[in-house]
Amino acid sequence: MRAINNPNKACMNISIEKKIFSEAVYKVARFAERKSSTLPALSSILILAGDDGIKMRATNLETGIDLKLEGICMSEGVVAIPATLLQQIAGSLVGEGKITLEHSGDVISLTSGTSKSAIKTVPYDDFPSIPFPENPKKNILLPGVLLRTLFSSIAACASPSTIRPELASLYFAVEGGLLTVVATDSFRLAEKKVPLSNKGIQGTFLIPAKNALEIAQALPDGDVTISFDEHQCAFVSSQGMIVSRLTSAAYPDYRQIIPKDSIVEAVVLRKDFETALKRTTIFADSFQKVSLSFDPKRKHLVLFAKNSDIGESSESLSAQILGSDLNLSFNHRFLSTVFSLTTSESISLTAAGIGRPIIIKGVGDNSLLYLISPMNQ
Amino acid sequence: MLVLQIFRNKRIIESTMDKGNPRELWEYMLTQVELSISSANFNTWFRSSFVVKIGEDGVVYIGVPSQFFKDWYLKKFHTLLLKIIRDVSYEFRNIEYMIVKDERRKPMKETVSAGRGALELPLHEFYINKSDNLNPRYTFDTFVVGSFNDLAYSAAQVAIQRPGITYNPLFIYGDTGRGKTHLVQAIGNQYKKQYPGRKVYYLTSEKFVVDYTDAVQAGTANRFKDKYRQYDLLIMDDVQFLSKKDKTQEELFHLFNALHDTNKQIIFSSDRAPVAIPDIAERLKGRFSSGMAVDISEPDPESRMVIVRKKAALHGVILSDDVVEYVATTLTGSIRELEGMVNSIVCHAQVKGLAPDIAEVRQSLRSFTRPQKSISVKNVVGRVAEFYGINEESIYEKTRRREVVRPRQVIMYLLREDFRISYPSIGTKLGGRDHTTVIHSCEKIKREIVVDTSLAKEIQNIRSLLV
Repeated sequence: MRAINNPNKACMNISIEKKIFSEAVYKVARFAERKSSTLPALSSILILAGDDGIKMRATNLETGIDLKLEGICMSEGVVAIPATLLQQIAGSLVGEGKITLEHSGDVISLTSGTSKSAIKTVPYDDFPSIPFPENPKKNILLPGVLLRTLFSSIAACASPSTIRPELASLYFAVEGGLLTVVATDSFRLAEKKVPLSNKGIQGTFLIPAKNALEIAQALPDGDVTISFDEHQCAFVSSQGMIVSRLTSAAYPDYRQIIPKDSIVEAVVLRKDFETALKRTTIFADSFQKVSLSFDPKRKHLVLFAKNSDIGESSESLSAQILGSDLNLSFNHRFLSTVFSLTTSESISLTAAGIGRPIIIKGVGDNSLLYLISPMNQ
Repeated sequence: MLVLQIFRNKRIIESTMDKGNPRELWEYMLTQVELSISSANFNTWFRSSFVVKIGEDGVVYIGVPSQFFKDWYLKKFHTLLLKIIRDVSYEFRNIEYMIVKDERRKPMKETVSAGRGALELPLHEFYINKSDNLNPRYTFDTFVVGSFNDLAYSAAQVAIQRPGITYNPLFIYGDTGRGKTHLVQAIGNQYKKQYPGRKVYYLTSEKFVVDYTDAVQAGTANRFKDKYRQYDLLIMDDVQFLSKKDKTQEELFHLFNALHDTNKQIIFSSDRAPVAIPDIAERLKGRFSSGMAVDISEPDPESRMVIVRKKAALHGVILSDDVVEYVATTLTGSIRELEGMVNSIVCHAQVKGLAPDIAEVRQSLRSFTRPQKSISVKNVVGRVAEFYGINEESIYEKTRRREVVRPRQVIMYLLREDFRISYPSIGTKLGGRDHTTVIHSCEKIKREIVVDTSLAKEIQNIRSLLV
């Protein structure tokens, strides 16, 4: 029926390298709606062949992607195919060569090498348009690689619950040629600063952390322009565009919780700390508690964990410690997050006292600030 | 058929719908839209939208969750929706779409304006420093001194200035809700501030008992001893709960000696004087009163007014003098109840944005004052009869069956003890009995309660039913 309605779009015929096709499907499919209850078009990938080349689109109304593909377009057209099905097919493609997609009626036939399969298509009339920010006056330019690591490392610190949408989001603040990205789940907070090439832009926005993780998987390595307005942001690169809804809420003034004074500071080798933490963690109790003792006299940082069912373990690291004695307990998962946030060889821990948060930084890495609230002892 | 139904629907809705009400308008639009598009489409696009407002100029504002929706509405549903609202009334000229926040995101702004970081906010009120167990909320700044507690207050100050020497131990007692815990914790907090290097520990006697039994069970009694002996100031709240716990008392006795000999300050609190605590070893009693035992009596009206004013001011609400006086004189309970009342006034004030006047306070206090005990004899009889599972009528009869006699005596006892009804009138109300019978019954129960714990428990249960 669709074919009769749109006779000029009916007979799409394109040919794409298998590898490009698979990668594109892998990237795009994660943006499709996974719940089956909604519109069938939302759980589909839309393939467009037109004047500006071949494109794949998918959206779950939270995020959306519009990806350009290299390929040969023999004849123009539009078709929507269930994403999961396409994902399975893409996963089964092996070797070099091309895949040809040919659309006729409500069936599309995929030919690759000797295999040929026909898939029933989904009506694409219902497929929504991917919204670009309405008046994207604000643009920032960043390398995709950097953005990807930023997203995937920081997003882990955001709150997994959506009860407070602002805490389930990453906070982006652009000011004075510096991009600050913050995430907190109210137990710990990560702040990362990145210098920008284009100065003079100001603005803040909140992107849902869940969306950021998905976007991180699909970002290309090259330069990416981030455009944003009040409700929407877009990541535009030469290979296409990814959009996400923004959280419209006020972000708490997180700077107030960062302690300004300190009573003890320790610097340890990352390698030592990582292995010691890994070993001590085995003995952590059900609250995942690991305690840190600062011993400035003996220049030791002692990690201690005790589980009444298993036993206990303590490990002292030689460290450079300045200040007074202090003992604080933390959730070990929060402690180990720092290793994914910085690549520095040494790590500095600055404590402001009992019951107050500890600040962890990479030595020589001024971009990161990581803060953890201690557990009650 | 379908068409007919639409017509009918429309006519009904048009005749009853309030066109100016955004909710009703949206409901009507939904019924119309649902007929025109597929249900998957409807569920996807219309579930989370609503009419925000209807403008003066005939523009209907529809709130949608995101840009996706806005674009799609404009592209796909605009003509349909426009047609629907035009059918309702020609006053509606146009539809505009706006992206609105989720309802539940709105209140977040308030926490931000509170001026504190979100991280520390939840901790602040309830935060207890685990190394000394003290609640930082209790300080001398918030402690109201009046004639009822100035002796306790000065004793506390002396104990802080010359810890372990002048008044050791300091024993503070008074009825519940008089501010004992506040005072002893304030001492701890002040001590901590004044002597930064020294160790303070606050605990309730109940915690001490639990700690001790745990330590004995785990075979770490020595560690337990060491733990408590290291403190420079030990504060134990509610020591009256140590009664009958002989082993723990012994342990406390040794701990007391160890701390006292090394001139470490000890502070106790209790709801009664040391000598009046039942079932506690004599040697411990003697030690409790060996230092300084001061009581906190009932606050006088002036102090109560100061307390009310101070508590309200803490929450940033300034109450007028007549309101303060009214609250302080009406509630004759503990300071804790006073505080609860102030909290409810503060809550009112925060909701309304201004401090309540005397009339409003009187109104809200009405719910706060305790209901008068207006319980009839018949009611008591009914409850007790029900409790014992016997027929209510049999109470009034002349029968002397065992299962009836006991409940009857209990009823008499309760009417006399709790409701202060005279012996003769109890007699007449319970089927014309002589007042000497009633006296005998009451005395009997009174005697038996002392030895028979199960009876005492029964009566306790009945009392809770009668409240």
